[in-house]
Amino acid sequence: MLSSKVSGFVAMRGALVARTLTARPACQALLHTDGGQRGAVTQHAHNTKPDWNKAVSEAEKIVGYPTSFLSLRWLLSDEIANVALHLRKLVGSNHPLLKTAKGLLYNGKNNMQAWGLIVLLLSKAAGHLNVNEMEEDKAAGVLYSQRALAEVTEMIRTSHLVHKGLVNIHPGLFQEGAVLNDMTFGNKIALLSGDYLLSNCCVELAALRNQEITELMSSAVRDLTESEFVGQRDQQNNPLPTNPLEGSPVEEWTLRSELSGGRLLGKSCEGTLRLAGHSKEFSKEGYKFGKHLALAWQACLDMEPFMPSSQHTSGVGFSLVSAPVLFHLEYDSSLYKLIQAGAENVNDVDYAEIQSIVSKGPGLAMTKRLRQEHSQKAMEVLAAFEQNDARTALSNIIVAMGEL
Amino acid sequence: MACLGSVRLCARVEKLCQIGQNAQVRRKASSVKLKQFVDLPLTRSAVKSCQTAVPGSRLLSSVRSQQPGSLPEYRVDPYQLVDDDLKNVHFDIQEELRRHTSHDELYTIAQYYFDGQGKCLRPMLCLLLSHALNFHIHKKDKPLPEAQRRVAMISEMVHSASLIHDDVIDCSDFRRGKPSVNVLWNHKKVAMSGDFILAVASILIARINNDDVTICLGQVLTDLVQGEFMQLGSKETENERFTHYLTKTYRKTASLIANYLKAESMLAGADEGLTELAFQYGRNVGLAFQLVDDLLDFVASSSALGKPAAADLKLGLATAPVLFACEKYPELNAMIMRRFQEPGDVEHAFELVHKSQGLEQTQFLARKHCVEAQRLAERIAESPYQKGLLVVTDLVLNRMK
Repeated sequence: MLSSKVSGFVAMRGALVARTLTARPACQALLHTDGGQRGAVTQHAHNTKPDWNKAVSEAEKIVGYPTSFLSLRWLLSDEIANVALHLRKLVGSNHPLLKTAKGLLYNGKNNMQAWGLIVLLLSKAAGHLNVNEMEEDKAAGVLYSQRALAEVTEMIRTSHLVHKGLVNIHPGLFQEGAVLNDMTFGNKIALLSGDYLLSNCCVELAALRNQEITELMSSAVRDLTESEFVGQRDQQNNPLPTNPLEGSPVEEWTLRSELSGGRLLGKSCEGTLRLAGHSKEFSKEGYKFGKHLALAWQACLDMEPFMPSSQHTSGVGFSLVSAPVLFHLEYDSSLYKLIQAGAENVNDVDYAEIQSIVSKGPGLAMTKRLRQEHSQKAMEVLAAFEQNDARTALSNIIVAMGEL
Repeated sequence: MACLGSVRLCARVEKLCQIGQNAQVRRKASSVKLKQFVDLPLTRSAVKSCQTAVPGSRLLSSVRSQQPGSLPEYRVDPYQLVDDDLKNVHFDIQEELRRHTSHDELYTIAQYYFDGQGKCLRPMLCLLLSHALNFHIHKKDKPLPEAQRRVAMISEMVHSASLIHDDVIDCSDFRRGKPSVNVLWNHKKVAMSGDFILAVASILIARINNDDVTICLGQVLTDLVQGEFMQLGSKETENERFTHYLTKTYRKTASLIANYLKAESMLAGADEGLTELAFQYGRNVGLAFQLVDDLLDFVASSSALGKPAAADLKLGLATAPVLFACEKYPELNAMIMRRFQEPGDVEHAFELVHKSQGLEQTQFLARKHCVEAQRLAERIAESPYQKGLLVVTDLVLNRMK
């Protein structure tokens, strides 16, 4: 029984590897460092280049084993094995769930999945007060409850990504019956997998026996669901920018980014400080740290397609509500006409042209400034912490992010 | 005998309608509810219409007449007993949802099934049991504490959230007599709305501020998802199949009722034995409810159900009537294995189920669970609410939709 589960999963990984080999994951491009100048905040950093991979892997050593939820415990659970087997049936179809799964398996360390790690690092950086010794993971310097919270953070994030990956099936979208069946089945599995993660979150949170944290994290789930209802959408729910004459791009970007991630990381950071017995006031600083870090991260991701050194293939889609595009819309609203071509389907937009227009405008520089602002605010929160290895690791991560 | 029974029932309906005069707000809803349980003639004609649609179906009376003529006196209407708390459940839920989002579309989708049309079985049971246990423990009736009313309300929220996700999973067209959510809005938004309701429900659970209640209600979600996963697989051998079906039924339906009643009992200050009693009562009522549901899928018309008939077969699901029918008609096994996918499978299986004793056996099993629930309810101190708990089991067993 057990071995059949594992072999099912291994087979799925194999199939996914085959599909991945041809396309270089976008995150690889993110690892690129140019060794540029470092600010004053880097004084705690190690002497080597602030390499992203290094910053993350060293940070992981500080708080113990990796936090990614694809630990053995998870692999061997009934439902995940079930999902894996069902996913295998989907390989060969075009369902976006595969892309999401691939992201979880291979890009684990390099994208948002490092969130659990951030929560643990902050936990260790802040230390804990008056807590029962039995509840501490001494080697890592964090509480078991904080570890659970970090896991919940990743599960919430993942479940949201998986549910976002559903396909909107409407009559006439798929002409072939077989494709329609694949998509329907994919949706079923995606919905259930996401629900599975959410239900596990509820159980893990309940086990903490701390209703303040349960409420806080439940509200983070609510925020994520709200993010899918902000602004104009195409038929697949991909976001489109608001008419630049009607709104403020920065405010729009901030609202979207806060709802779709900032609040989750913020609330997790706040929650972990509360678990450690810190005051409400101090924990709010944690919220600020998490939120600004997430927004800086988002700005960083948004910049990537427009960087001169970008590995982004010309003409391939990027988010139409990414910060550079929104900033450019504010600077020159005539771009909006090009974007409206995607009102029904964002793929109808001429990405190569938008990319070239935006790259020549001020959008990229303004996004860089936006990222710096948020990085700076996150750093300011860290400054109030005592010097320790976890704090250094966090600032290393922020610095490395600035150099991507 | 069915005729005789219906005359007697009609007299009771009149009596009940008289009682109903007092409840101004809920009168309409409650008379509808009474009808669904006792208006036999209506359902028989409905069955006839079903018969013309699907050849081989038999009159519902063949099932009904299996019951001894021991329908209880409906002097107690469980819905009436908890009307004060129940009538606002949907309104309160809408208010909570509204409070938690500023996005109109999200709110519109999320509140779609809270339109006062549902049976409200779960909150009704929660309220009834809370009253009964409070009376049992404190020896007098008093207004329900806020926490117990909240749990009743949350039970309906979680149930509806699971319905919304079910609609996407099953691609259903109709529910409760109106288009399903997934017909009106796109899948992604519907899925998010379900998550939203769950998130708000979790927030409300946390605010009750009772660790054990949160743990108990968290378990329900895991069960719901695991039940749904079980429904995806059908590879079990013949022997395992029935256990699989019952476990799935517990997780998908009974766990919610059992655990919410357990939570209510904990809030009432019940000791371990009484908590277990509440849980087992809920489990048995829940199992009976789902068994009858699976039975109705074969005998009731789509207009009575508010959703298409034989829906389970069309979804490829083998429920109790089919599994029982298997004993007499082994050819059903192959159809179960291929999930009734081949042309004619659904009609053929439908016919075989009606030819077999499958419906009667399902009814018998449901009755067994109801008897067990009654036995448990009899151990609670006598009160109108405790009587209500007894009557509910009959309503569950004899319902028509």
